Amino acid sequence: MIFRRMMQYLLMLILVLFLLVFLILPLFTVIGEGCDWNLLMEVFRTPVYREGLLNSLAIALVTTMMVAILSLILAVIYDRYDFPGKEYCSLLMLLPMILPPFVGALGFQQILGYYGVVNTILTECGLPRVDFLGGEGKFWSVCVIEALHLYPVFYLNLITALGNIDPTLTDAAANLGASKLQRFIRIKLPLLKSGFLAGGSIVLVWSFTELGTPLMFGYNRVTPVQVFNGLMELENNPLPYSLVVVMLTVSALIYLLMRKIFGTPAGGAAVKGSMGSRAKKLGSWQKMLPVAAFLLVALLSVLPHLALVGVAFSRRWYNTVLPEVFTLSNFENALSNPLVVPSIVNSLRYSALAMVIAVVCGTLTALITSRWRLRGAWALDLLSMLPLAIPGLVIAFGFLGMTSSYAWARAIFNPVDNPLWLLAIAYAVRRIPYVVRAVASGLEQTPEELEHAARNFGAGPVKTLTSITFPLIGANLLVGGLFAFSFSMLEVSDSLILAQKSIFFPITKALLELSQILGAGPSSASAFGVWAMAFLALTMASAGILLGRKIGAIFKF
Amino acid sequence: MASVFLDKICKSFVPGKPVLRELSLEVAPGELFFLLGPSGCGKSTLLRILAGLEKQDSGKIIFDGVEISSLPPEKRQAAMMFQNYALWPHLSVFENIAFGLKIMGVSGKKLKAEVESALEAVQLADCAGRRVPSLSGGQQQRVALARALAVRPAVLLLDEPLSNLDARLRDTMRGEIVRICRERNQTAIYVTHDRQEALSMADRMAVLKDGAISQLGTPRELYDRPANRFCGSFLGDINFIDGKVDGGKLVTPSGEFVLAGDCAGAAVGAIRPERIKFVTPEHPGAFAAEIVSGTFLGDCAQWVCRSEAGILNVKESAPGERKTGDRVYLAFDDGFLLAMK
Repeated sequence: MIFRRMMQYLLMLILVLFLLVFLILPLFTVIGEGCDWNLLMEVFRTPVYREGLLNSLAIALVTTMMVAILSLILAVIYDRYDFPGKEYCSLLMLLPMILPPFVGALGFQQILGYYGVVNTILTECGLPRVDFLGGEGKFWSVCVIEALHLYPVFYLNLITALGNIDPTLTDAAANLGASKLQRFIRIKLPLLKSGFLAGGSIVLVWSFTELGTPLMFGYNRVTPVQVFNGLMELENNPLPYSLVVVMLTVSALIYLLMRKIFGTPAGGAAVKGSMGSRAKKLGSWQKMLPVAAFLLVALLSVLPHLALVGVAFSRRWYNTVLPEVFTLSNFENALSNPLVVPSIVNSLRYSALAMVIAVVCGTLTALITSRWRLRGAWALDLLSMLPLAIPGLVIAFGFLGMTSSYAWARAIFNPVDNPLWLLAIAYAVRRIPYVVRAVASGLEQTPEELEHAARNFGAGPVKTLTSITFPLIGANLLVGGLFAFSFSMLEVSDSLILAQKSIFFPITKALLELSQILGAGPSSASAFGVWAMAFLALTMASAGILLGRKIGAIFKF
Repeated sequence: MASVFLDKICKSFVPGKPVLRELSLEVAPGELFFLLGPSGCGKSTLLRILAGLEKQDSGKIIFDGVEISSLPPEKRQAAMMFQNYALWPHLSVFENIAFGLKIMGVSGKKLKAEVESALEAVQLADCAGRRVPSLSGGQQQRVALARALAVRPAVLLLDEPLSNLDARLRDTMRGEIVRICRERNQTAIYVTHDRQEALSMADRMAVLKDGAISQLGTPRELYDRPANRFCGSFLGDINFIDGKVDGGKLVTPSGEFVLAGDCAGAAVGAIRPERIKFVTPEHPGAFAAEIVSGTFLGDCAQWVCRSEAGILNVKESAPGERKTGDRVYLAFDDGFLLAMK
């Protein structure tokens, strides 16, 4: 018994050390480099940086508002009504998560560009062209694209929170005379706090620090892009580090503010509804309305990517509603570019390794916090969730700082020779929270009695894990791993900053490079984007097949 | 079947607030032993300590003369029937029952035979292939019992196993559990807060209060001779009669009554409502009272009577015609007025 306990503590110690070295140390490296009073003041004194900061904040706020409204509507529809294909509709909502937003930006330009689809329609209707993507338009485009990418995060959190509400709570309110609206406002919304807090803070911080989308739109007056551009002259200008410190501080403030507004989650509704769903069955034609709503949102979120497919398959798509001449040559061009094939292989290697690291660390963390309950587990819990609040750009910069500051880091990671471990660990650290969440929620939904029973019937701790715990939370493990993998494949900040030599470029950096080649660049980049998306879809689909009928279990996230 | 000996078990979850206080207990082989007590008295904790799912702060647990105090749960052979059954939803009924047997190394035909015999014992022979969520509450409860029985445990632990069932099913299952334990000569420790369950099923029982045993004995002993006020009222209705204890007698305004039990330090007399009878004024020891209210329950009636010795609850089987305000005479059954502190 004592030996087992010691092993558990040893595992926890290793995990804490891992996170200290690969999460906290990078953070401190950035802060150490950037915490120069004069430089910090310089950030606030320079109008360009001030403007960047305000723009980033505005993007975060607008994006989050859009996301909150959209997800709340969808989640309430999902919760309240029964309609055909409900599970599939909800599954469709996951789609944007596998569609990289900055790839979507390429397609979005095709739709709203000065000579794009919408403007062509406008001129054919005899109306003047509108410069959607110029000036203010860029801001709104970034917001829309990010909102369409991020709403699933919010939506999933709301669905989970709604699912956790004991239906008898609203029944009781109804019983005491509360109307439908009152029940929603007085009972459900307050109980959704935890969902708003979790979803809201992630979306705010993510959209505040998103680099890829504004970069693709050429919207340079935002902090993340300014940081990225400053990277080139990092040798003689440490200002980007200070910008990162400012970004980090603002993110922390956002997080604190959200906690302040939404408070700690309302006390858990202990009784799980065993009465089944209270969803209302709809009449014959009415039941198509929710389906239409879900399809519409799904269509909106894939529209940029559809346009991207259009660009990829067309030789000419200029000033017309649909592409004029179809061709496959873009795909050949993309594949023949020396960057492309190696980048796919690279991404696969980085992401697979990252997934393994994230799943092992995340599962152990979840076990330690929700099952073994070791002393000091709260510290591990806090550490492992921290990456959600720390922008990817900050950690990427931290790793960069580490490789230049510490000889041992250079020896292990050497980004010039082979960034495999550097990128895999950088990817993994930021995906651990998803695995922890997925696994911990599985563990929390699985009564511990089931494991106690196994121990009681003679199974040792390891046998109990493999024959009871893991099978019961199998779907959660798979979802955690899947998220870790596909988020790594689409990773932007680490990829753009840490992959320095072109033979080591992952997909995202190769895409950016490709899109910036004049002339055929955007078309080839589009074709490459389609390749990447097809590849991801294949991974997701095969995971879906693996899960079989249990595909709906994904939503227990 | 194993004997169980608990020696001075202590446990507290919060320092300074003990859940179990130096609790010692002996259960004979083949005995169906009940731990009865109100919620929070530590009875479930004691059961979990027996199973090894909680660790006692101090004290020894001995099965059949062998100390198992620090063995992990999987080494204890103390199969438990959990309050919420804890059936594994990802396994079929058969697989649930086979789980423990497989770990013991049973396989092939023997495994099948053992599982089937366990299922037959609980009369669920045709449910082997079913999935757990498709079973009714009563069926799940029986699968949980079969799972615990299948491994032929040294000690069977039952944690309020019938609390989730409806009254009728509960009655049937009480009989079934007693029958199966007797047939197998199974040592079993059964935790409940339901006094009927304990009184009707137990060979011996212990009433727990605040982490210590309040009284230990057969159901009959505990019911008829409660050692203190708590045990007296926990096991059923009881009247406490104030008066002066004097030389083995209770002196009250209604007369003097002979006390049973140890009178040293006693302050009140206690008697169960069914041990008070309606009698004629000539009956020895009769005293006057007035009926304040009554509840007719079919096979019996409960009367609240006011006497000079205080308010008394009287339970009358085969009730006579009485009404509020009637003047009546009551007498205590000989030997059932207990001295109590």
